[in-house]
Amino acid sequence: MTAPIRTLDDRIRPSDTPDSPLDTQEYFINMGPQHPATHGVLRLMLKLDGETIREVIPVLGYIHRGIEKMGEAMTYRQFVHLTDRIDYLSALVNNWVVARGVEVATGTETNDRIEYIRTIFAEIERIQSHMLWWGVLGMDLGAFTPFLYGFRDRETLTDIFEETIGCRLTMNYIQPGGVMHDLHPNFVKRTKAALAYSKSKLHEYEELLSGNVILQERTRDVGILSAEDAVALGVTGPPLRASGVAYDLRKVEPYGVYDRVDFRTAVGSVGDCWDRYWVRVEEMRQSIHIVEQLIDNIPEGKTMLMKPAKKIVIPEGVYYNQMETARGILGMVLVSDGTSDKPYRIHLRSPNFNNLWALDAMSRGGRLGDLVANVSSLDLVVPDIDR
Amino acid sequence: MGVEKSADQALGGNYLLTRVDQVLNMARANSLWPLTFGTSCCAIEMMMATGAPRHDIARFGAEVARPSPRQADLLIIAGTIVKRMAPRLRTLYEQMAEPRYVIATGACTISGGPFIYNSYTTLRGVEDVLPVDVFVPGCPPRPEGLFYGLLTLQRMIKSGETLRQPGVRRKPVMSALPPGISMDDIRSEMESLLEADSEVDVEARRRQLGWPSSTNT
Ligand code: SF4
Repeated sequence: MTAPIRTLDDRIRPSDTPDSPLDTQEYFINMGPQHPATHGVLRLMLKLDGETIREVIPVLGYIHRGIEKMGEAMTYRQFVHLTDRIDYLSALVNNWVVARGVEVATGTETNDRIEYIRTIFAEIERIQSHMLWWGVLGMDLGAFTPFLYGFRDRETLTDIFEETIGCRLTMNYIQPGGVMHDLHPNFVKRTKAALAYSKSKLHEYEELLSGNVILQERTRDVGILSAEDAVALGVTGPPLRASGVAYDLRKVEPYGVYDRVDFRTAVGSVGDCWDRYWVRVEEMRQSIHIVEQLIDNIPEGKTMLMKPAKKIVIPEGVYYNQMETARGILGMVLVSDGTSDKPYRIHLRSPNFNNLWALDAMSRGGRLGDLVANVSSLDLVVPDIDR
Repeated sequence: MGVEKSADQALGGNYLLTRVDQVLNMARANSLWPLTFGTSCCAIEMMMATGAPRHDIARFGAEVARPSPRQADLLIIAGTIVKRMAPRLRTLYEQMAEPRYVIATGACTISGGPFIYNSYTTLRGVEDVLPVDVFVPGCPPRPEGLFYGLLTLQRMIKSGETLRQPGVRRKPVMSALPPGISMDDIRSEMESLLEADSEVDVEARRRQLGWPSSTNT
């Protein structure tokens, strides 16, 4: 697919080939920035013809906080805490991207214990993120009960974070050179209990929502994103896999201890909302499976290899490093000038930003009512789009 | 005002008005309808508090979250407000029906939080755009923290606005502050820090970075 370059001016001009037999007129409406279904302050300008969507134009900037620029005035250790606030549902993976970037650049080797802890936490966080998405998707499509269920079960996982990390949301736990502190003595016991609980609940989710006629009707063959479009638009994560491309960084370029565990990549076939739904539900199951394999054999060892007081100076150069968050690939470009302990430039390639542009491709020609299902199935976190 | 005059002339005027005030305030305090509004991280904790079954804000009579500002009377500002969002936030506030109350959760709404330095877009505290009744500190505040803020607001409402002086409220309070520290202390410290931050010696910085001089001498 080649994408023509179009300015906003082009976009808001009425199209010359209205394909409706009636003498209709195109018009615009705004969705957001304050709208319950956009999960934050995302604004979508919709070009409509009757109820048919002609174009979706996302308008950004309502939560742009300048995190990349702020990073230039902070040391690498300090920058970690800001990454919590980008995609707060994958805070640990965000931390990890910075940590790994610095470790690769300085040539620090971490030990197995650190990598085990990081991988386990990243997977637990993926489960809780998908649980939240599951509940919110139900609510967006008009069913309130999933919201209650998803949030109820998410709490059991938040408890695990709280016990070891001391935080429910903004973790700041994975640091360059290790993790902030060792695991809580209860960790293994509690995690096992929570996993067993989540597993039984996944069953309940399937029974409650997956087979529901309304959900099926509203997601099947709605918002189809073809594999070519997905790849051309840089879509990653569950939406990409739902379109049939089995690209998962955990498999393709394993980091942490993903190369030592057995798990399967969930892949869809059609690329509609239902596939995206199914891929995420299956991912929860696979994540539980991953943690189950790791939880019993966390090796002994130190949990922090860099002295916290040490100044981290990265050799001059440009470094890139990427990971799979719950929403797709988060990449970090790090430019260092080789003299100061602060980055010269930081750029984040955030998964939601690229996934957002798929919204136009999947909604065009569809109905206005389906847009909510499309937005919800992309699982957007708006501060990650704007940063 | 008409109510006040006629009631004052009626039998037992003052006493009656006070009772009416009390009843009204009690009703208002116990039936707050929050607006679903959240911009960033704090919104998740707010959702955990208002929607989720464990914490269950319904115990305090504030569970009817409304997506439309016209039907809500409590604005919970959850998350960072940036300059581009500020006018929209103000519009939302103005669309809400009187009497309206505002709870601002999180460090971001108090002072800019983690984004206080070096960010060119965030608002250093939402008090710049609208009056806030209760601040809830934390980054993000736990659901319990939000509840404490809500209870504080309810107490304020019960003892606050009267028929005689509609719109008159007490100054904003912080729902949990360490002993001996006031809101003014925080604000003055913040101002001095920001002031120190804003003075940039361009010439010295230029020499430090080894950039060529901008003036052609
Ligand atoms: S106070 Fe902290 S958690 Fe809340 S919006 Fe600001 S950065 Fe996010």
